[in-house]
Amino acid sequence: MVSTGLVIKPLRGLGGFFAMALDTFVCMFRRPFAWREYLLQTWFVARVSLVPTLFLSIPFTVLTVFTFNVLLVEFGAADFSGTGASLGTVNQTGPIVTVLVVAGAGATAMCADLGARTIRDELDALRVMGINPIQSLVVPRVLAATTVALLLSSLVILVGLAGGFVFSVYFQHVTPGAFVAGMTLITGLSDVVTALIKATLFGLTAGLIACYMGTSVGGGPAGVGNAVNETVVFSFIALFVINVIVTAVGFQVHP
Amino acid sequence: MSAGAAAAQRFPRVTKRLQVVLDGWYRLGGQAEFYGKTLVAVGDAVTRYKAELIRLIAAMSLGTGALVMIGGTTAIVAFLTLSTGALVAVQGYNQFSDVGVEALIGFASAYFNVRLIAPLTAGVAMAATIGAGATAQIGAMRISEEIDALEVMGIRSVAYLASTRVAAGVVVVVPVYCVAVMASFFAARFGTTFFYRQSTGVYDHYFYTFLSTTDLLWSFALALVMAVVIMLVHTYYGYTATGGPAGVGEAVGRAVRTSLITASVVVLFVSLAIYGQTGHFNLAG
Repeated sequence: MVSTGLVIKPLRGLGGFFAMALDTFVCMFRRPFAWREYLLQTWFVARVSLVPTLFLSIPFTVLTVFTFNVLLVEFGAADFSGTGASLGTVNQTGPIVTVLVVAGAGATAMCADLGARTIRDELDALRVMGINPIQSLVVPRVLAATTVALLLSSLVILVGLAGGFVFSVYFQHVTPGAFVAGMTLITGLSDVVTALIKATLFGLTAGLIACYMGTSVGGGPAGVGNAVNETVVFSFIALFVINVIVTAVGFQVHP
Repeated sequence: MSAGAAAAQRFPRVTKRLQVVLDGWYRLGGQAEFYGKTLVAVGDAVTRYKAELIRLIAAMSLGTGALVMIGGTTAIVAFLTLSTGALVAVQGYNQFSDVGVEALIGFASAYFNVRLIAPLTAGVAMAATIGAGATAQIGAMRISEEIDALEVMGIRSVAYLASTRVAAGVVVVVPVYCVAVMASFFAARFGTTFFYRQSTGVYDHYFYTFLSTTDLLWSFALALVMAVVIMLVHTYYGYTATGGPAGVGEAVGRAVRTSLITASVVVLFVSLAIYGQTGHFNLAG
């Protein structure tokens, strides 16, 4: 009895997640679209993730640039540190910081907000009034997370490159002109497009996970806390896997 | 008092702004005080609350609730570092083969995994699993007034709840970080030699040539520092949670945000201190 429960419970959760994701995609194209909720949620997610974005992207990029520069200085090729900075930021640090921000800041706030509503039975109240909570609450949230993730990734990359520039030029004495000239040596349009595609997928997935965990909360204060905890863990796992796959596919498409 | 009240009536907006700044300042002080208390009480926690400490070590390394089903903290950390290790293989191999030096991918694994990727990924994974779990537990206790009950029973709540978790985090991070490093090495090697068909001999040669024991030990030190910082931040946000069930969720979110930022800033400064300008790196071997 116990063993079947252990096997079936996660499977049921997975099934519920896919069912909700399907409902969300169907409702996305059904009128009326909840514009007001969408704008409010976009602003909400942007507000909670903006400061973490700025504070996270600087140490991550500076670390990457520093580790690269140690290597390049050893080779006697410190002038190429711009190449390393743009390569690291656009291809990996940018998307990974976006993952951390979208999952760690945006999705947790969203899940906490939805979970609180679920605990107070507000979702059931909506259903009683004949309003589909997926259409009125989940769809705008998922789209808001997607929009903000896409916009944030460009901000992450810009802030990261600026941080890398300041660190390399003022602390490691790289020539500024050489840094800027080296930036576009390996990194091109296809890398930027891949980074933006990654960010869109991250936002979509993190939004879906946060909404599923938020709407299926049970069991009082501990329940909401655990739901937020599980949101972070599951969205990190999902987004890291997506990152590897999209990176590999991106190299196959644009070698 | 009356002067303050008069000023508040005369300049309401300025007073409000000032109040916001002051509140932030007080919160910072309160946070620092909590961290000091927690660290001081670690001795108490180890000597007096041994049973709770051991229970927490077991719970943290395996995880609680639904996370047990997917293998607990250790499995999650291993999985995340597996995926970043695979990233080294994918990104490194493709980028290096552009220049024609794909043989050096073993070097990239030994260099970037140890110094950069494994500590950061393990920190992120620890914040998400052990840290967020601690905030959720302590926050729920605070909301249902269990912490006040502990105080009434004469148990030092900071030592019993926060210090034990910090100590347990330091103990748990050692095996977890071992798993993380091994997973990232394995994924990079497997990806390079199995998917990109590099010969294992070439990979192993460059990997072992550039794998430095000192770097590995420093990277363990990084992980330990991160564990302490993450557990401190997360226990603080749980301990001060307010506002019902929704408040616990918000506290978890806020704790994850803060600890990710603090952990990465700490890693940055510690690695700048370790590797400095010389870089501890010798191409000649």
